[in-house]
This record gives sequence, structure tokens and C-alpha cells, in this order.
Amino acid sequence: MGRQRWWRGLRARVTVAYAIGSLLLSFTVAGATFALARAQLLQAAESQHREQAYSNARSLRENVQSALEEANPDRSQIDINTFLTNLSRFNGSQQALLLDDGRWYSPFTIKDQLQGYPQLVDGTRRWTVADMRIDVTGTVNYAVGIRLDSINATYFEVRSLADLESTLGSLRAILVGVATLASGAGAAFGYYSARRALTPLSRISTAAGAIADGDFSMKLDLEDDRDLALLGSAFNNMVDAVSQRIERERQFTSDVSHELRSPLMTLTASVEVLERRKDSLPDVAQQAIELLSHDLDRFQRLVQDLLEISRMEAGAVQLQISQFLLIEFLENVMTQSRNPGLLMNFSPGDPDLVLSADKRRLAQVMTNLIENAEKYGGGATSISYEVVEDDVQIVVEDHGPGVPAEERDRIFERFARMGGVAGNRSTDAGFGLGLSLVGEHVRLHGGQVWVTDRIDGQHGARFVIQLPLGPDRELHEEMAS
Amino acid sequence: MGTKILTVEDDERIRQAVTLALEEEGWDVVEAATGERALETFTASPADVVLIDIMLPGIDGFEVCRSIRRTSDVPIIMVTARSDTHDVVAGLEAGADDYLTKPFAPKELSARIRAMLRRVRAHEPGTLERTKIGELEISPEEGMVLRNGEELHLTKTEFKLLVELASQPGKVFSREVLLERVWGYDYFGDGRLVDVHIRRLRTKVEADPASPRYVVTSRGLGYKLQP
Repeated sequence: MGRQRWWRGLRARVTVAYAIGSLLLSFTVAGATFALARAQLLQAAESQHREQAYSNARSLRENVQSALEEANPDRSQIDINTFLTNLSRFNGSQQALLLDDGRWYSPFTIKDQLQGYPQLVDGTRRWTVADMRIDVTGTVNYAVGIRLDSINATYFEVRSLADLESTLGSLRAILVGVATLASGAGAAFGYYSARRALTPLSRISTAAGAIADGDFSMKLDLEDDRDLALLGSAFNNMVDAVSQRIERERQFTSDVSHELRSPLMTLTASVEVLERRKDSLPDVAQQAIELLSHDLDRFQRLVQDLLEISRMEAGAVQLQISQFLLIEFLENVMTQSRNPGLLMNFSPGDPDLVLSADKRRLAQVMTNLIENAEKYGGGATSISYEVVEDDVQIVVEDHGPGVPAEERDRIFERFARMGGVAGNRSTDAGFGLGLSLVGEHVRLHGGQVWVTDRIDGQHGARFVIQLPLGPDRELHEEMAS
Repeated sequence: MGTKILTVEDDERIRQAVTLALEEEGWDVVEAATGERALETFTASPADVVLIDIMLPGIDGFEVCRSIRRTSDVPIIMVTARSDTHDVVAGLEAGADDYLTKPFAPKELSARIRAMLRRVRAHEPGTLERTKIGELEISPEEGMVLRNGEELHLTKTEFKLLVELASQPGKVFSREVLLERVWGYDYFGDGRLVDVHIRRLRTKVEADPASPRYVVTSRGLGYKLQP
């Protein structure tokens, strides 16, 4: 999970998608808006200029005729230039007059530029009126040419579009700004909505986690979201189905264990009769009875363990808490343990230490640990206890091969089976029930159990049961019932 | 005529096998498959020990227990499905003296029966011949307890418990000790046996069982007979 790149996350991807989408959309809209606005503004300006030019041309035709007819060309030049200057005064435009004989009249530099646009000059001759945008020292200008047949001349008027260009520049800046903002907003919205959309996912994962921990009462409430309500109810149905199935399994285990008790009772009683009469039977039958008796005992313990576990799973275990001297308890456990010939080093701690616990269950815990040590560790070598803060730690050590680090948690799990290795602590005859019962009992007492290597440098396993002493005993009693 | 045991068990095969094993141990066994049948049999010819499975069709084991207790102080051992339920306490309160969980070994049952039938006698002869504590007068040899001269009807187990406590008035007996001396259990016996029997004993010997004068609890440690 941790190795995944951030940008592969759903949230990041949705955010980027929204950002790109809104970027494209807003810039397209902005671009189109700009182009449209520009075209319209230009058209409006140009048509206005054209009208002005017509009117100027008309007035020129009427007023310049006499000046042209003047014999003195210099004189006419002055008159025309004066008139053209007057026309310019109102709107900053530049005018020029081109006679058919090739003479230019203009007080402005514009005539030089116009000569660089023969298509305008020719176009006007051919079509009476022509216009185009021309470039004058880097700025866009609008030039219109009008044919004046009556005076055998062509009138040109050029007007700068710089004002318009600056307006359009501002518009462009505004549009770019708006589009950028819109993209940012899109990205933010994408991030937000992705987060919002993913919120139910985190609720689902919380619920799934709780269920994985065994809390089947966890319900996923997505009713407030119409789109997710279906998922929510499907999820809840799944949880119900799974928990029902588990419940059936539990019930099955419990029923089977209960049902096994009746035939077990018959078998136990009958085998006992056989054992009493063993001496009068042939050798082979005696051997068979010994086998039968031994395995019946094993079978009975297994059924008892199964029953105990199914009770625990059903939460039906009630601890019978009583107070007792720990030293006395452990001495009795050792006396009762199956192999009293085994040398066990008992190093008791405080002899007055009183423990509040379910004596019989704790005895089972100790017996299971001692038997476990016998099976896999060559027998328990020492039993001891000491008070550590508010707890007591009871320690059982053996001199066997120990428990590999990677198996140390699992051996206390229910029905744990380690890779099927023969002679393994958790497999074999006990079916892994022994240590799992140890774990369950200790947990019911509000304690912990763990295993480490021996701390005195010798090889072997060191099982530690830690049980709470002290005033919160009532709490555990309540928990258990 | 040996000791007669009435076994009440509805499962025929279990009943047969248990009977077989108990007869091997030398007891006389009478069987009953239902509670009704058990009560009829017991009325017709009382047994020395009754073994009752709590789970019975018809009237259940608790009811059989109570019915027998109304007329008899015969030792009753009940058989329960498991040890950690309220069934145990309920059965003891209905009058059972001891309990076993299924499946049990008939050898174990025999040991329990022998412990039940063991006659009360002073551990050291002479120490408990006839004791008078307040209004109580205990006569171990006759198996009799008088309060203000009136005989109290105790079951055998209750009587043994009282005698044990009276052997050293004022001394606190732990549950473990009482379990061993009265029931013959080892250290890991069920302390509830003691608790319920103490309660029952109080209803009989105390004027006000809610605030006992004689059979006193010593918190966390056990019980004693207040001289």
C-alpha cells in the first residue's frame, strides 16, 4: 500500500482530471469569447470609420474640385493639404488623395505607407471602394480607399486601431485571468468532490476493519446518500450473511461437541468395565483395551476443549472468581501435573501474594503450559512468579528448542497450525487447542500471555502469563459474565 | 443387601453403561428413565444415593431433586452438561449435594458416592462428642442437631459441614479445606459447593439467615462457626 505513488490515488486522479477539463473548457470559452468580441468590435469600428470616410470623401469631392482646377500646382497642393488636415482634426485619422495621373496629395506620412499596399490602390480603382488593415510602424490601422470618378482621383483614409487593440488587450487579460481562476476552481472542486465521494469509502473501510476484528454488530449507514444506499445495504447484507454463516459454524461445533458427550459417556462407562475385567482377557484384548482407554481419554479432553472454545465464542463463559494464595495454587498445580517425577524448579515470589481469578481455569492454563512443555520442550524446568507493577507474571520455562520468533504470536491463535511441521507445538495431538485455550483464558482474566527465548542464555522456551492484581478485579468479573 | 443407587437418566445406552459400571464397582443399581418414574421408584423403595441428570423430558432434574428433598435427606448427585452455568448453583439450591459434568468416569462417581456415604466421625476421637454452641447442640454420634432443644433436619452433607466447622469453633476454614474434608475434593474443587451449602445450612440453623449469628463468612478467606 505504502509503495503506491500519490498520483495513482483516486483523489489525485480525479483532481487532475477536473483541472485539465476545466482548463480546456474555460480557455476554449474564453478564446471563443475573445475572438467573437474582437471580430465584432473591429467590424463596428471599421464600419464607423468607413462611414466617416464616405462623408469625408463627399465633402472632399465638393471642396477640392476648385483647388484642382487651379493652374498653379503648388497652390492646389497647399489647399488640398489644408483641407485634409482639417478633416483629420476631428478623429486623428490620416488622409491622402491620389490623382489618376499619379500625384499624391497628403500632409501625412501615410502616403508613403499606402504605396506599399498596391492591392488597396488597385482594388479601389477596380471596385470603387476597398478597405484593409495595414501595418503602420507596428500598429494596426484601418485603411479605406474610395474612388472619386468626378475628380479622377482616389481618396484614402487611414485610422489607427490602437485604442481598440488596447481594449482587446484588457479583455484578453481579463479572460485569461478568469479562465485560470476557473481551472483552479475546477481542480479544487475536483479535489473536494473526490474527497466527498471517497468519504463513504473510508467509512466502509472502518466498518470492514471492525468486522475483521470480529465485531459483526457494525453496520454501514449510507442511507443519507441515495447513490450509495444500495452499496450500504449490500454491504450490510453481506455482513449479516457472513456472521450468520459463522454463527452456524459455531452452533455446529457446539452441537457436535454436545452430541459427542452422550456416546462418550457410554464409551467411558463401558471401557471402565472392560478395564476392571482386563485381567481375565487374552493379551491381545488387553492391549486393545489399553489403546482404547488411552485414546478415549484424549478424545474426551478434546471434546471438552472444543466445548470450552465454542462457549467462549458464544461469549457464554462465566468466570468463577475467587481469591487464593498464588503459592498454594502453584504447588497444587505441580502436585497434580501429569508427570510428578519431573524435576521442576519452583522459585516462588511473595508467599502472601493473593490472586483473584477463576482457579479452575487458571489451573487449566498452567496444566496446558506444563503439558506443552512436556510435549515439545522435554518438560518444564522451572516455574516462578513475580510482581511487576500492578500485575503478576507467572513464568514457565523448558529446555527444548524454543519457539521460532515468527510463530510466537500464532501459537496462541485458535486452531493455529504451523506449516504442518510434525512435532510442532501447535499441531500434534492437541489440535492447537491447548495453547489457544491458554490464550483465551488469560485474555478473559484481563491478562496477556506471550512466549520468548529463555533469558538466562540457555536454550528453551519461556512462557509468561501476566495477570492483573489489584482493585480492578470487579471489572473483569463483570466482563466475564 | 448392598448400597442402593437410583440413576435417573433418559438416554438408554448411557443408563445401561453407567449401571453396568456401577454394578462392577459393587453397588446395587435401580434405573429410571424419567423424572416421574424416578419419584415413583424412590417412593416405593428409597435408595441410599440418587444420581439425577438435570436434562430430563417431563419433569426436569431440579424438580425431581426438590420433590425428593421434601421427604428425604438422601445424598443426591446431579449430572449437568457443563460446570460453568447457573445450572450447578440451581441444582445445589434445589437440594443436590454434589454434581458431575457429563461425560464423567463412573470411577469418579463411585468416589463421590463413597465420600457422601462416609459416616461423620470425629477426626480425633473425643474432640467432638457432643458440642453446645449457643442455642445449637450437635451430637455427631447420633447425627443430630438441636436448636433450643428442637431437632433440625439437615442433610448428611449439611450435617458434615456443620460438624467440621464445630470441630474448632471460631477457626476460619477455607473453602479448599471444607471441600476436602466434607466432599473429599482436592484443591481444585468447586467453591460454589461450599457457598451454596453454607447458605442452606444457614436457613436451617440461623434464626435470621440474612444476618447469621453462627455460620459466619470471613471475607475472602472462608467460613467459621462463631462460638
